Amino acid sequence: MAEPLLVVENLQTHFRTPDGINRAVDGVSFHVNAGETVAIVGESGCGKSVTSMSILRLIPEPPGKIAGSIRFQGKDLLKLSEPEMRAIRGNEISMIFQEPMTSLNPVLNIGRQIGETLRLHQGLSARDAEAKAVEMLKLVGIPEPGRRVREYPHQLSGGMRQRVMIAIALACNPKLLIADEPTTALDVTIQAQILELMRGLKNTVGAAIVLITHDLGVVAEVAERVVVMYAGKKVEEAPVVELFNTPRHPYTQGLLGSMPKLGSSLTGTETRLAEIPGLVPSLKQKIPGCVFASRCPHATDLCVKVAPALEEKAPRHVAACHYALKEGAIAA
Amino acid sequence: MFAYAVRRVLATIPVMAIVALFVFSLLYIAPGDPAAVIAGDQATPQDVERIRASLGLDRPFLVRFGEWVWNILNGDMGVSIFTNLPVTTMIQQRIEPTVSLMVLTLCLAVSIAVPMGVIAAWKQGSWIDRAVMGFAVLGFSVPVFVVGYVLAYIFALELDWLPVQGYTKFEEGFFPWLENLILPSIALGGVYIALIARITRATMLEVLQQDYIRTARAKGAGQRNILFLHALKNAAVPIVTVIGIGIALLIGGAVVTESVFAIPGLGRLTVDAILRRDYPVIQGVVLLFSFVYVLVNLVIDLAYTLFDPRIRY
Repeated sequence: MAEPLLVVENLQTHFRTPDGINRAVDGVSFHVNAGETVAIVGESGCGKSVTSMSILRLIPEPPGKIAGSIRFQGKDLLKLSEPEMRAIRGNEISMIFQEPMTSLNPVLNIGRQIGETLRLHQGLSARDAEAKAVEMLKLVGIPEPGRRVREYPHQLSGGMRQRVMIAIALACNPKLLIADEPTTALDVTIQAQILELMRGLKNTVGAAIVLITHDLGVVAEVAERVVVMYAGKKVEEAPVVELFNTPRHPYTQGLLGSMPKLGSSLTGTETRLAEIPGLVPSLKQKIPGCVFASRCPHATDLCVKVAPALEEKAPRHVAACHYALKEGAIAA
Repeated sequence: MFAYAVRRVLATIPVMAIVALFVFSLLYIAPGDPAAVIAGDQATPQDVERIRASLGLDRPFLVRFGEWVWNILNGDMGVSIFTNLPVTTMIQQRIEPTVSLMVLTLCLAVSIAVPMGVIAAWKQGSWIDRAVMGFAVLGFSVPVFVVGYVLAYIFALELDWLPVQGYTKFEEGFFPWLENLILPSIALGGVYIALIARITRATMLEVLQQDYIRTARAKGAGQRNILFLHALKNAAVPIVTVIGIGIALLIGGAVVTESVFAIPGLGRLTVDAILRRDYPVIQGVVLLFSFVYVLVNLVIDLAYTLFDPRIRY
C-alpha cells in the first residue's frame, strides 16, 4: 500500500518562554489519506491549532521549535528550505483560518487576494488571475462575482469572507486543505452553509481535509476519522462513528458527555450539562503519568505515575488509557 | 470624493484667515520699533515719527490688517522696508533653494526611513533593530546645526568630496545642484528620518501581528512581498500622517540649515528679515510657510484613500 498523503510522526512543537519550555505539541502522530477528512478535536489550548500551523511551518522559529517528521507525499516538510516550503504553502497544502473577519487583508481587494496564490504558484498574469478569481468566487457561491472581485473585505459579511478564504485556499487545487476552526466565528446557519460548501468542494477538488475544531457537531457532520488531542498529546483516534458510539478514553467520553442535546429541556429529561472538572494542566512542566489524570474520574496511582501508551483497543481505534477496555466504556 | 476635496479646500480658508490674523498681530505686539531701526541711532523722535507715518505704522490695527489681507489677496505682499523690493519678488528670488532642499530632504528621508523602520520591525530585537533605534534617538537629540557642521567638516573640509556651502541653481545641471544640497539634506533630514523610522517600526510591529499576515504566509508569499505589500500598505496611514506633520520640522530646520550651509533661500530671508524687523517680509514668508503646511496636510488627508479603501469621503 502506498504511503498516505500526509504522515505526521512524533511531532513536537515547543516554545521557549521566559519561564520554561511550553510543550504545546508533544509527540503527536497521525496520518491523512488522499481525499480523506480527518478531524482533530480537543478543548482550547490542547495544541490542535499549533499542530496545524506546524504542518505548514507557520510557527515562528524561534521562539518555536518543531521536531519529529511531517511527510507530505513522501517529502519531509521539516527538512525543506524556506523557498521550497513557500512553493508548497497555498499550492499543495493550503489553510483556512478561524477568523474570517481578520484573516483577509483589509487594504487589498478580493480579486487580488485570491489571485495572489495563482500568480505566485502558477505564474498567471494579473488579468488571468483576476479572471480565475471570478471563477473561484462563483465556485464558492458568492453572487455577482464579477462585481465582488473588485470589492474589499469590509464590504463583505463574515460568511462571505469565509467563502473568500475558501476560494483562496482552493484556487491552486491543493491536495490537502487544513481548516482551523473554519466555522467557529460564524452564525449557526452560516456554519451549516460553509460546512456544506466544504463538503461539496472536497468532492469536486478531491482534496484531503484536516479539520481542526472543538465542535463535535461539526465533526459528526463532515469527518471520517477523528484524532482527539489533550494537553499536546493524542489521546484517542478512531473512525467517526466508532468514536461517537464507543469512546474509549475518559477524556473523549467527557467531551461527548458535555455536548448539549437539543430539546432535552422540553422532554422533561432536563439534566445538568455534564462537564469535565478542572483545567488543562500547564504544558510547561513534564507530566510523568497520564496527562489527563488530574481531571479523570477514574484515575488511580498507576495513572499518575506511568504514562499510558497508545494501544489499539479495537480495529483502527487507538486510545492512551490504562483502563480503556476493549469493549465499551471504562469498567467503573 | 471630489465633493470632499472641494469642502476640504474651502475649509482651509478660515484656517488661513486665523493664521493671517496671528501672523499679523504677532509682529504688531512684538517689541522693537521698525521706524526707530530704520531711522538709525542719530535720529530725533520727530524723524522716527515721520518714518512711522510714511510706513503707515501709526494707523489702527484693524485697518492695517484689513488692508494687508486685501492686498495679499490681490497678490501684493507689500514692500520690504529695507530693500524696497516687493515681498513677492524677494520670495520668488529665494524660493528655489528652499523648495529644492525640502523636496530632496523629503525624498531622501522617506526612502531611507521607511525601509529602515520596516526592517527594524521585521528583525525586532536584533542588532539591526537596535541600530535603527539607536540612530533614531541620535537623530532626535542632536540638533541640525551640529550635524550640519560635523558633516561639512568631514565630507567637505577633510575629505573634500563635496562643497562646504553655497547653492547651484537646478538649471545649471542636476549634479552640481545635488552636490551642494546633499549635505544640507542629510543634516536637515536627521530628525525627520528618526521620526518616520520610529513610526514605521511601531506601526509595522502591530501590523505584523495581524491574522492577515499569517494568511499571506500560508499562501506562500515571500518575506519581501509580505513586508512591503501586505504589511506596509496597512501601516501606510500613520506613516503618511507623520510625514505630513514632519513637514513642519523641515520648515523650521530649513531656516537653520540654510544658515549653516549659506544657502540663499527663504530660511535665510526669514532670519535676515527678523533681525532687521522687516515686517512685510516676515509676514509674507510666515504666511507662505503656513499655507504650504496646510496644503501638504490637505494632500495627505486625500492620499489616505489611496492606501485604505475603508476610508471614504
